[in-house]
Amino acid sequence: MENIKLIINFLGQLLPAINITLIVSVSSIVLGSLLGLGLAAAKQSQSIILRVLSSIYVSVIRATPSIIMIFVVYYGMPLLFSGWLHINIEGWNRMYFVIIALTLLFSAPVSEIMRSAYESISKGQMEAGLMVGMTPFQTFYRILLPQAFVVALPNFANSAINLLKEGALTFTIGVVDMVAKAQMIVANNSGGYAWQTYCALALIYWVISLAIDKGVTLVEKSYQAKRKTIAA
Amino acid sequence: MSLNTDFMVKVAQTAIQGVPVTLQIVLVALLISLPVGCLFALIRIYRVKGLEQIVKLYVSFVRGTPIIAQILIVYSAFPSLLNMIIGKAAFSINPIYYAYIVFTLNSIATLTEVFRSALQTVDKGQMEAGLMVGMQPRQTFWRIILPQALISALPNITNATLYLIKNSSLAFIMSVKDITAIAKTEAAFNYNFLEAYLVVWIYYLIICYSAEVIFYLLERYFSKFRRSTKKTNLFNWRPLSIKQPEVRAEADLTESERTNHAQNRGLKKRL
Amino acid sequence: MLKIEGLKKGYDGNEILKGISLDVNKGDVISIIGPSGSGKTTLLRNITTLEQADGGHIQFAGVDNDFQKLNSKDIQTIRRNVGFVFQNYNLFNNKTALQNITEGLIVARKVKKREAEKIALEALERVGLSDRRNHYPSQLSGGQQQRVGIARAVALNPQVIFFDEPTSALDPELVGEVLKVMRNLADEGTTMVVVTHQMNFARNVSNKVIFMADGYIVEQGSPEDIFEHPSEKRTQEFLTDILANV
Repeated sequence: MENIKLIINFLGQLLPAINITLIVSVSSIVLGSLLGLGLAAAKQSQSIILRVLSSIYVSVIRATPSIIMIFVVYYGMPLLFSGWLHINIEGWNRMYFVIIALTLLFSAPVSEIMRSAYESISKGQMEAGLMVGMTPFQTFYRILLPQAFVVALPNFANSAINLLKEGALTFTIGVVDMVAKAQMIVANNSGGYAWQTYCALALIYWVISLAIDKGVTLVEKSYQAKRKTIAA
Repeated sequence: MSLNTDFMVKVAQTAIQGVPVTLQIVLVALLISLPVGCLFALIRIYRVKGLEQIVKLYVSFVRGTPIIAQILIVYSAFPSLLNMIIGKAAFSINPIYYAYIVFTLNSIATLTEVFRSALQTVDKGQMEAGLMVGMQPRQTFWRIILPQALISALPNITNATLYLIKNSSLAFIMSVKDITAIAKTEAAFNYNFLEAYLVVWIYYLIICYSAEVIFYLLERYFSKFRRSTKKTNLFNWRPLSIKQPEVRAEADLTESERTNHAQNRGLKKRL
Repeated sequence: MLKIEGLKKGYDGNEILKGISLDVNKGDVISIIGPSGSGKTTLLRNITTLEQADGGHIQFAGVDNDFQKLNSKDIQTIRRNVGFVFQNYNLFNNKTALQNITEGLIVARKVKKREAEKIALEALERVGLSDRRNHYPSQLSGGQQQRVGIARAVALNPQVIFFDEPTSALDPELVGEVLKVMRNLADEGTTMVVVTHQMNFARNVSNKVIFMADGYIVEQGSPEDIFEHPSEKRTQEFLTDILANV
């Protein structure tokens, strides 16, 4: 009972820092999806160089720990910028470095998700669209895209949850997010009530993950309902 | 911009001592979580009363929270727990044991989901066929269902292992002397952090790719009964053609199920 | 030899089988025909205890009991005395053709491995596939897989073999090879119960034909009775329809 009260108390102290987590996650998801789209396009392209490069990129990212990616971006980018472009970015908000690192990490699985969703739609759909007189773009936009969306959605949400969790490493380069806040609270209590504090932290992430899951299930259900009525 | 290559060579030489530590964590976690994950998957599939809900909650919690939060919880809760149980002072415990605990608990959740979906991919007809040649359900499970499920789980076990290897890079937070910890200490002298982390990166790439090759060979060896799959060349070789982990294709399955039936019905009519 | 009385089965309040009685004598080749959804497959699955019937009585291989009262020993006895050939073959994917046949012999019947392999090879020879003994199911055509499925059932030397639409999943050009194997089995005196849409098989090979519709046995008799002078209107309509579409 005592512990539950403590955890609720800590929840109240941690929640104000949630906006950092949300900003980092949402911007990385948006930017990462765009980069992922580009990668998926590169993988489909005629140029063998583009295909090989994007393949190598995706496979390297797959084998890269997120913490290392964050550190390399954080320490490496300022050097790159000052050395090649003579721009000093040391003073950037540290959050930007995390967003860049997470964008790079997120783009790889997303490109694979997009590609496999696109490939899962049968070629006949495009041919049928062209045969009823739609342009390739119209067919893509009105027929292929909605179908690919349904296929990609669960995996995309899964990756988004992973990204949210990787975002919890933001604190390692000194941004005061929820994790950093939790550590501060523990330090202020001279190490006391540590596990209660961290449980409160975990709870917040758990609720967000469950919410994403729930949202996806609802969207999926509504799509399936549509399909069924068409089938029947 | 120039990298201090001399320093990189030096870090590479010292940080290599951390490689066995990382491998140790990964192996211990895998060896424990593989059987336990399989057991948990069975609990969920056969809906064992009481336990099913616990497993579900456990998997949901572990998969819904960051590994860093799990590390912090275990690292802060276990010392007092141990104190209560055995009365042994926590600081005398080698921190690598905390790493074993965290990463095992984490992998169990991932592998439970992997085995659950793998067991579900085995056709119901396999069990029925086993019963119809007179085998007991349990015999059919061990001899027919499980071997097939394990092999179809291999790609996702590979993914789970990579995930584990990458997560283990956070062991330094529990003051385990792994690759990252050693490189970090070295870098702190002259602030050569970039060089140090590039070296760590390369080590992780090597470890991950080795794991992928090992699993790829395992898969090729064990899936000889699926010989109809396409041949391997440089471009569809696994490390260059990544399969997406955990494809939740339930919607697809029902779809193909339906088309299957539709075809059967068509055939029936024709005959 | 096998006697079923008043077999009933429903799903979610939908009655699929509304009291089926069936007699199988040694050497019988019984064809069960009828429209889709009439309960033919469900009948086989309930007799062989793949599903649990809601009511009815079975007399077979020393078991004499109501379906609902079957204990695990009864179920095991029934399963050990029947063979089953599935519509989708259901060969063990992780076993070769030969191992598919020896598996049941070794594990369930406790036959020595050497002996089991000898029996299995003979069974494969009977279906003309002894050269494919080391192939995995994925390396066999549908027709070959189904022939292995038949060999698997035959090798166990059961009292009766049930065939659940054995050719429905096959491409039309592969149907012949499977039917030929089944015809040979019938000629050798194997007791068979076959759910089928192959009217030629029902007419020329079986000694008894059962026409099922809506969960009932509408009519049964010799092939001549059913095909030449069906007495029920449902039977006539079904046969007119199906023969018109051939």
